[in-house]
Amino acid sequence: MRNLFARGLGKALLGAAIIATAIAATPALAETVLNRGFGASPDTLDPHMNFGAREGWIQDDMYEGLTASNAKGEIGPGAAEKWETSDDGLTWTFHLRDGLKWSNGDPLVAQDFINGVIRQLDPKTASPRAYYFGSLIPLVGGQEFMDTKEGGDPKTVGITAPDDKTIVMKLKAPQPNMMYLVESYHIPPLHKPSFDKFGGDFIKPENIVNNGPYMMTEMVPQSHVTLVKNPNYWDAANVKIDKVVYVVTEDDQTELKRYKAGELDATNEIPSNQLDAVKEEFGKEARITPYLESQYISFNVNKAPFDNIKVRQALAIGIDRQVLQDKILKAGYQANCGYSPPNDPRYKQPQVPECNMSKEERMEKGKALLAEAGFGPDNPLKVTIESSTDNTAKKLAEGVALMWKQNLGVDAKVNAQEFQAWMDTFYAGGWDVLNDNLIGDMPGPESHLIYMRPSADSGYGWKNDEYEGLMDKAAAEADLAKRYDILAQAEKNLLDYYLVTPLDVTTSRHLVKPSVKGWEDNILDVHPTKLMSVEK
Amino acid sequence: MLAFAIRRIIGAIPTLFALIVISFFIMRVAPGGPFSANRKLTAAVLENINKAYHLDEPLWMQFGRYLWGLAHFDFGPSTKYMDYSVTELIVQGLPVSIEIGLWAMLIATFSGIALGMAGALRRNGATDLTAGIIAMTGIAVPTFVIGPLLQIVFGLQLNWLPIAGWDGSFAAKVLPVFVLALPNIAYISRLTRGSMIETLRTNYVRTARAKGIGPHRVIWKHALTGAMLPVIAYLGPATAITVTGSVVVEQIFGIPGIGRYFVEGATNRDYPLVMGVTILYGGIVILANIVTDVVRGLLDPKVSYE
Repeated sequence: MRNLFARGLGKALLGAAIIATAIAATPALAETVLNRGFGASPDTLDPHMNFGAREGWIQDDMYEGLTASNAKGEIGPGAAEKWETSDDGLTWTFHLRDGLKWSNGDPLVAQDFINGVIRQLDPKTASPRAYYFGSLIPLVGGQEFMDTKEGGDPKTVGITAPDDKTIVMKLKAPQPNMMYLVESYHIPPLHKPSFDKFGGDFIKPENIVNNGPYMMTEMVPQSHVTLVKNPNYWDAANVKIDKVVYVVTEDDQTELKRYKAGELDATNEIPSNQLDAVKEEFGKEARITPYLESQYISFNVNKAPFDNIKVRQALAIGIDRQVLQDKILKAGYQANCGYSPPNDPRYKQPQVPECNMSKEERMEKGKALLAEAGFGPDNPLKVTIESSTDNTAKKLAEGVALMWKQNLGVDAKVNAQEFQAWMDTFYAGGWDVLNDNLIGDMPGPESHLIYMRPSADSGYGWKNDEYEGLMDKAAAEADLAKRYDILAQAEKNLLDYYLVTPLDVTTSRHLVKPSVKGWEDNILDVHPTKLMSVEK
Repeated sequence: MLAFAIRRIIGAIPTLFALIVISFFIMRVAPGGPFSANRKLTAAVLENINKAYHLDEPLWMQFGRYLWGLAHFDFGPSTKYMDYSVTELIVQGLPVSIEIGLWAMLIATFSGIALGMAGALRRNGATDLTAGIIAMTGIAVPTFVIGPLLQIVFGLQLNWLPIAGWDGSFAAKVLPVFVLALPNIAYISRLTRGSMIETLRTNYVRTARAKGIGPHRVIWKHALTGAMLPVIAYLGPATAITVTGSVVVEQIFGIPGIGRYFVEGATNRDYPLVMGVTILYGGIVILANIVTDVVRGLLDPKVSYE
């Protein structure tokens, strides 16, 4: 009995071993997979609702706009192969290329892009990005359509499709940077049959129809999003990576370990407290690039004593921006002497005069200005800096507070709150000084400067007709060089008013395996998967 | 016993209702709302968004609307993860948290009891000392220290296990289950040890020994059931906490469970999500307590169901 059993068992084990070897010996499918760290779980992948930059990477892979970026962030043809603008810059005409299809084979026509724009503008959609086609691209009738509560008539909006391959946009004022504003992030088309059938659920993997180089096959919240090559993409022949998995990596320390173990080919972030160690260990794999985000201190010009320009100027002088970066923050950011993040070589950014002072000069000039305003050792200025609890933001604020104490004898402290509470404090008014930041919508200073317009009502509560006048003049100027000149004057006006004082420009930080080709550093931090390949 | 259980369940309903009311109103005391973070929203768009989520209505109306939704098992949409309703998020995340949690509790119970018994029966010997050290480490060292340490050892250096991620495979479960189990092993072993030592001194055990019953039968048949009572009392709430997911473990190991929703939901002021997981957690705790009481009633002859 035992012998028979043993023999039977032996045969079974042998059989299993043979099968196992056969399976192991079968060559793996020659499918290239890219594993990208994504950071925290995406807020939404609805392309007409999405406002996040990281979600924009997935949107970039799944949709194609009229134009598209190359790996360096330079703009070129996308779904549109050519375009022209009228002499006054108020009419733009885009010509779609032939043979465009949706991922399910349906033909992609110009009207699909228009449907996407209308959905974004429709107040019923309540999209946070409606202003793209209301003010950023000042479409005729766009703002009005956005503001009509009961829903206006889409035909009043200045974007039309005279035929299946042409899109015409009529603007109220010229926008010379238009090409940057009609990419996949801004103008994803809408597949109306899916939307009509499924409503908001049209973005679920089992329902979704898209027009970009990749299609979504899986979305597990808090875990990953899987995209595979879209065979109906017009340029599918040149898309080298078959599958890209965006892996949710909430904890950047774990992400670093997963990168080291080979589970990820690219990370979303590098832990800021290990920056130097990582740079040393990984060398060229660590990609640290300036980003389109500037950080600055904002003053509450409606609250004494910060309504006194001498006080603001003194506080601006008291900050040594380079030391702040090198000795205190050490996050790889770059000190900035202007308000917007310098990223366009065609723009001559004005610099604040206090950028390059020596420590003695700062102490001398700063204290003198404070004395003129009535503050001194027996009457120290009390300042509270409102900051969010984000680690780097808090460090920055504490560094600034320290400098004010040391250089100016100011009694400065930091009040750090969770993000929502911090925003609430800002909007409620009554704050002294804000640890502030802003990410631009496009290259150049414009989106930063527009945000600061008193008429934009962003919460700063300041009035300046000269600034508004300059911004209006810039908005009407179609020639880019002249437009940038006027914007530089506006920025100087803003800096001279000392509404804000600049601190730095943040960086995007990624680790990228040497086997990944086609990942180029750029200020917009765009890295379309369709332009990458993986070599062993 | 059935009558007892049913009575407890009915009695739990007002508790759950009180939980809902208190959570609903207290949450809104905290400054900030779900959409105040987005700085570029114009006033008009913000108004639209608030209307879409009924946040512009008076509080009592919002509460009534919420209760009506609950009656239809609809927890509302998540304000942060806009593609999903709270129900969808919980349905997708709960099985993962439960799976890891139950495995962790199972391992913790058996290991903990074994360690505790070994300590109790060989008091102050080498076994007791070792068990004690393991217990103290499990209690004192936090999960966010042990977790990454194990990741480095087993993931990076030995390359036996994946660092993080959830693909349903066995390998992906090992580290998170172990890290989740460790503090529970520690507590259960100390509880078992203390309780066992005490039980061995009681009159009825001494009577059993006096009657001539062998030491093995005394321990495993008579003393054990008595000694288990504090452990059972601990297991109820501990299981409830563990199966609803641990924020730290899930973040470190990239597990798509519901643990993080408790914390993230609060930071994001995602009212519907926080309400959803709070009610879920409340329900599970109440259930766990009822089960604990029933089991205790079965084990302890001194307890009756009155």
